[in-house]
Amino acid sequence: MDLGPLMEGFATAATPMNLLYATIGVILGTAVGVLPGIGPAMTVALLLPVTYSLPPTSALIMFAGVYYGGMYGGSTTSILLNTPGESSSVVTAIEGNLMAKRGRAAQALATAAIGSFVAGTIGTALLVACAPIVTKFAVSMGAPDYFAVMLLALLAVSAVLGSSRLRGFCSLGLGLAIGLIGLDRVSGQPRLTFGQAELADGIDIVVVAVAIFALGEALWVAAHLRRKAAQIIPVGQPWMGREDWKRSWKPWLRGTAYGFPFGALPAGGAEIPTFLSYITEKRLSKHRDEFGKGAIEGVAGPEAANNASAAGTLVPMLSLGLPTNATAAIMLAALTGFGIQPGPLLFQKEPQLVWGLIASLFIGNALLLLLNLPLAPAWAKLLQIPRPYLYAGILFFASLGAYAVNLQSFDLVLLLVFGLVGFMMRRFGLPILPLIIGVIIGPRIERQLRTALSVAGGDVSTLWSEPLAVGIYVIIAVLLLWPLLVRLLRRNPRRPRFKDA
Amino acid sequence: MTFLRGRAELGVAAFLALVGVVVLVDGLGLPTVSAAADPVGTRPMPLVVGTMLLVCAVFLAVDVVRGGRGEVEGGEDVDLDHPSDWRTVGLLLVAFVANIVLIDRLGFVISGAILFWGSCFALGSRHLVRDPLISVALSLGTFYGFYSGLGIHLPAGVLQGVL
Amino acid sequence: MVIVVGYAPGPPGEAALRRGAEEARLRGARLVVVNSSRGDALVDRRFAQAEDLEQVERTLAAAGVQWSLHQPVRGREASEEIVRAAHEARADLIVIGLRHRSPVGKLLMGSTAQSVLLDAECPVLAVKGER
Repeated sequence: MDLGPLMEGFATAATPMNLLYATIGVILGTAVGVLPGIGPAMTVALLLPVTYSLPPTSALIMFAGVYYGGMYGGSTTSILLNTPGESSSVVTAIEGNLMAKRGRAAQALATAAIGSFVAGTIGTALLVACAPIVTKFAVSMGAPDYFAVMLLALLAVSAVLGSSRLRGFCSLGLGLAIGLIGLDRVSGQPRLTFGQAELADGIDIVVVAVAIFALGEALWVAAHLRRKAAQIIPVGQPWMGREDWKRSWKPWLRGTAYGFPFGALPAGGAEIPTFLSYITEKRLSKHRDEFGKGAIEGVAGPEAANNASAAGTLVPMLSLGLPTNATAAIMLAALTGFGIQPGPLLFQKEPQLVWGLIASLFIGNALLLLLNLPLAPAWAKLLQIPRPYLYAGILFFASLGAYAVNLQSFDLVLLLVFGLVGFMMRRFGLPILPLIIGVIIGPRIERQLRTALSVAGGDVSTLWSEPLAVGIYVIIAVLLLWPLLVRLLRRNPRRPRFKDA
Repeated sequence: MTFLRGRAELGVAAFLALVGVVVLVDGLGLPTVSAAADPVGTRPMPLVVGTMLLVCAVFLAVDVVRGGRGEVEGGEDVDLDHPSDWRTVGLLLVAFVANIVLIDRLGFVISGAILFWGSCFALGSRHLVRDPLISVALSLGTFYGFYSGLGIHLPAGVLQGVL
Repeated sequence: MVIVVGYAPGPPGEAALRRGAEEARLRGARLVVVNSSRGDALVDRRFAQAEDLEQVERTLAAAGVQWSLHQPVRGREASEEIVRAAHEARADLIVIGLRHRSPVGKLLMGSTAQSVLLDAECPVLAVKGER
């Protein structure tokens, strides 16, 4: 494996400016990870407008710092408050908070932080290994293959995640419609612009992302603000004894093994691998009776899993230009905003950007360990900020960001409109992610379709002429027909019994 | 009317149908130009998307009529046991619209501070000295921060020359 | 006879609690202990948790008075909750603890004691916390 580009990447990442941005990113990421209700996706969306005046590499380094940091910060709240800071930390809260209540908060925090570091580093190393391979493979992909892969991504996100496929598709449809707005690139025809000049360029993804994530969330919380007053469990410096180390290291590795692949799959997410890790650790543990009372394996494994999945998400994002979760989607939107085309050619066209980013992930992980291990109790103090200030801040920065994109108040009107859409979606259970993915991938999938048919001279059969495309269509068919298959299989009278492990 | 009670989600279906129709109509209005370089043309995508939206709208309406409900999004800061607090949302929207209207005339510092303070107020914070101070500090800080750090000149409005 | 005590973990609150218990014993009154939180922040150190409440129980058990605890989380200021509780229970006395606040601190952070003193319908006994 040629480590030359990675070393150059370190040279890029280690410049004072990029180190500064990495530091800002991880600090922000940890902070929003600790605070429930605010997450890395929303933060990256709010940061988007700020970053347009920054060099793309620095901006991405900052975003990646926010992303990784969010995974670290979420565990602090889970352990000390029994409230997950991030959805990927839900499982950590189970054993982590119990450990804290038994006076072992320091060990829980330590295993979470160190496990996150181990998983993050291994995950990033796997990224270094896998991404070029995937890229090499992807470059041989033609437009029909891309079309199929993107179709898979769209459908996976809509049909797999969330409780209602139907609503996932509704959301996707809205996203695709929003993506249509603007002048058609190929023919110059205006679509859905209603004669408004401001819409000719389409709606800036920043405005949509900020509106749906930040404004919609703020309005929704405002309508249902939960009044709660808890106390964090006081804790000194996190540390672990020898016994704890012995018990943690295997769960760390197993958690990483779970997290990375799931992160790389469309609609894989970070929650499922943490859950799987928990079940596995419970089954394999020699201290099984401690589960339910505070077992360190139950913290070590899931925390490693969620950090590894963050690294895994970057594989399709960087090598294929395919986002598998909201944060990745917004980071890709940022790339597009910089005029950089995400996709397999990214490694060839922008090696400095990509390798600088990857190198900064290693640096970021180290920074995060330093930030979180000694300072976790200090981060927990953030939880004393009254929510009105937090959400007022979100509204403030959302408006600021949307305005700063073009310095026109029309964007604020759009922000308001889409914010209300975001509110409506939360009220009626329409998942958010398909909409965002639809806005980002919609135009791209159309382009692939048109390119494919243009190259084939209008011959539609080109879409299924490539073996990869056919394979993907089979996967899509299975995905869509899954509920039917499940129902058919359930008719089998012998149903397996699930014992409590 | 009782049929419609609790079926507010039909409004969503209506909304989707409306968007679908708009997309379709707009798409149908596009010229069917196919060049050799672009056999697909600009029409198919809007037509597909519009149709998809209409189909989804119909299915959603059917689902709602049969009693299906979208899962309301929960979260750590969200308490779903009580009905929506429209007053708070309304106040937030007022603060937001105020910012939209005033940002160009009175400048970002003032309108941003109004936005922040209005939002705090709407969300229940009643520290009548502390909140405005924080609001002004925040909007001043970001004004200068954007100016010197990022080179973005936010409108100074009425305070032009002072800042 | 009812006495309302405004309580929060810490020396002022504990001083108020002890003094309130003493007054209740002297007058043969029952205590209503109010410990509220706006609920705005996820973590509020002035909201009594299990360990604090155990301490409260011990203090009041030792004094041998009848008492009840109210912990409203309604988005209202502590002073408002105390005055409200006093009004509803038709209290004869309110006992609160005093924290040292500089004039600027009072301006920025507000003063619960000041608000209670001004809004209460019955006499207020303000007690200094142990240093």
